[in-house]
Amino acid sequence: MKKNTLSYKMAQYLMFAGVSTVLFCGVVIIPFIYGLYLTFTSWDGVSRSKPFVGLANYAAAFADADFWSAMGRTLIYSAIAVILVNIVAFLLAYMVTSGVKGQNFFRAGFFVPNLIGGIVLGYVWQFVFKRAFAALFGVSLLGTTGPNAMIALIIVSVWQYAGYMMLIYVAGFMSVSKSLVEAAQIDGCTPTQSTWYVTVPLMRSSFVQCLFLSITRCFMVYDVNLSLTNGEPAGKSIMAAMHVYNQAFTYRNYGTGQAEALILFVVCAIVGVTQVYIGKKGEVAA
Amino acid sequence: MRKQISLAMAAAMALGMAVPAAAEGTPITFFNSKMEIQTQLEEKLQDDYAADDVTVYYSSDTVAAEMAKVYSAKTPYTVAMVDAKDIYSLGVEYGVDLSDQDWVANTTQAIEIDGKVLGFPVCVEARGLIYNKTAIEEITGEEFVPENYKTLDAFKELLDTLKEGGMESPVAIMKEDWSLAAHYLAMFYEEREDVNAYIDALYAGEADVEGDARFNSLMDTFDVLKENNYAKDAAGAAVREDSEMYLADGDVAFMFGGNWDWAVMAEFDPEGEYGIMPVPQNDAEEYYTLVGGGSKYLFVDNTEYTTDEQREAGKALLNWFANDPEGQDFLVNTCALVPAFSNIELEVADPLGQSVKAFADADMLTPSYNYLPDDHYAKLGQSMQAYLTNDLDRAGLAADIVEYWKNTTPVER
Repeated sequence: MKKNTLSYKMAQYLMFAGVSTVLFCGVVIIPFIYGLYLTFTSWDGVSRSKPFVGLANYAAAFADADFWSAMGRTLIYSAIAVILVNIVAFLLAYMVTSGVKGQNFFRAGFFVPNLIGGIVLGYVWQFVFKRAFAALFGVSLLGTTGPNAMIALIIVSVWQYAGYMMLIYVAGFMSVSKSLVEAAQIDGCTPTQSTWYVTVPLMRSSFVQCLFLSITRCFMVYDVNLSLTNGEPAGKSIMAAMHVYNQAFTYRNYGTGQAEALILFVVCAIVGVTQVYIGKKGEVAA
Repeated sequence: MRKQISLAMAAAMALGMAVPAAAEGTPITFFNSKMEIQTQLEEKLQDDYAADDVTVYYSSDTVAAEMAKVYSAKTPYTVAMVDAKDIYSLGVEYGVDLSDQDWVANTTQAIEIDGKVLGFPVCVEARGLIYNKTAIEEITGEEFVPENYKTLDAFKELLDTLKEGGMESPVAIMKEDWSLAAHYLAMFYEEREDVNAYIDALYAGEADVEGDARFNSLMDTFDVLKENNYAKDAAGAAVREDSEMYLADGDVAFMFGGNWDWAVMAEFDPEGEYGIMPVPQNDAEEYYTLVGGGSKYLFVDNTEYTTDEQREAGKALLNWFANDPEGQDFLVNTCALVPAFSNIELEVADPLGQSVKAFADADMLTPSYNYLPDDHYAKLGQSMQAYLTNDLDRAGLAADIVEYWKNTTPVER
């Protein structure tokens, strides 16, 4: 059988990736296209009729001040959370690869928060912020005015994601050959200098991955948002994904909600892809 | 040893294969959106209801989201429990006309649209100020008669007496948006002769909310409640279950809520003496009513995904609730609901329900307005939360209300 024919290649592709392609199309591509179609209708989410309304939903989305407030809030939250998640994750990774006693235990321990679902995590931390804070400091961190709810969201996100990102940084640290670090130290580098000038540049791909993952996760945050603050107080902690959900399912403006979801997707994709492009461009190999 | 292992495995297999005795009758599905009666429904309808094979479902999602899901998946429930507004939005398209059913004659709460009865009222619910009679009487030393505190001035005096008597903060206010906006704020639309005309004026941006007598009267009372709220310093952090517990335990004497709160209060002190009274207002005589009516409605699916047999079984189930002594007992005693049917003569089980029934029987129930837009409770709930935490003044709240209605597409009615 000739190996360079299209049918052979197709058969090979289907054999190895057929099932996953079907699944990917079924749960991602087709719903995405169908969702795109719904942005041009005024469907309420239930009715049989889906009247075509052209670009009205996009106009409504661009005019929806609440959506843009939520988007602005998401940008601020993401910017702070992404930076903190990565700093904490990097420091944890540095610590658990430095030969400290019981480092495998610590690795597992720091990773555990990531295994707890966002909804459960939100309720657990709600208890901490409301009850424990009230008992210890006489004031609750949630439900009070000011940016407290946003601070709480950031703390929980850092706690949740830092352990996961830590694992990627750990892999990055491990991938850097010890001989390079030793060579640098023989040449007179202090341990800090060898980390900064040798190890960090060589694990740039870890930074790219971690930043991409944390950016996309923070932009799409919904579960923790729902269970921890539910948008309170007075809607001051409603993130973009929660607004989209409310718009589509609670306010029953499915078309507008879908259009807003698409805008959120585009913003998130632009930020994520730009970050990966810039990050990859400067990657160096040992 | 081997023999024992074999025996254990055989026993495990037998257990795995064991299935409950096959239920008889038509298989139908029932969607429940009233969390507090889920266990009762499961136990009764799934295990005890002999006529048909009912499977009960519950979702913590919003009713609208759940309905969107099942109708998109083309797997609708045979009978679904939804809110009144859902009957208006779903019923016309997906509901069976129930006009010919026997129970229709026995209720004033069924939802009828274009001459067709589409919604079966599960119960009557009403909102007002819940009070703990025992806690009040322990301090005042005299019998608590709610009618003596119809006006805000008299109510304020009572609060002062309670505070002097050692009850530090006699009031609890829930911070939930649905409680603040859909239940409290909505009273200012509902407490008037022609609600539709006022709502139309709001849509047109022509209503003067800031100068409105009803708005100011209710917000005057809200200010007093706010001032005496046990969670005054962090009103936005109040936990609903805590508030209900404090009320049941007598740490506070009043809480704005409804008879649905009994489900939680009963967990703490089911023997206490409680009741619901209208929200005190200085122009009390005219507005001395609870606000409520039929709550939670059942509709039977009319789509091709439900068979005629299932529809008949669904109708039979509604009939069982309304007319069968066992169904009536289940509604009133097992679920502790206030029935919406005049033929049900059973004594209402819980004290809050008894209050509601007394007001309903005395024709002192202002009907709930069922055409509020879907986002009303969320958006104006945010404004009410800000007002509760003193981040918004009354003029700001009035401006938010005007702005909200002006920018909202009118709901068809």
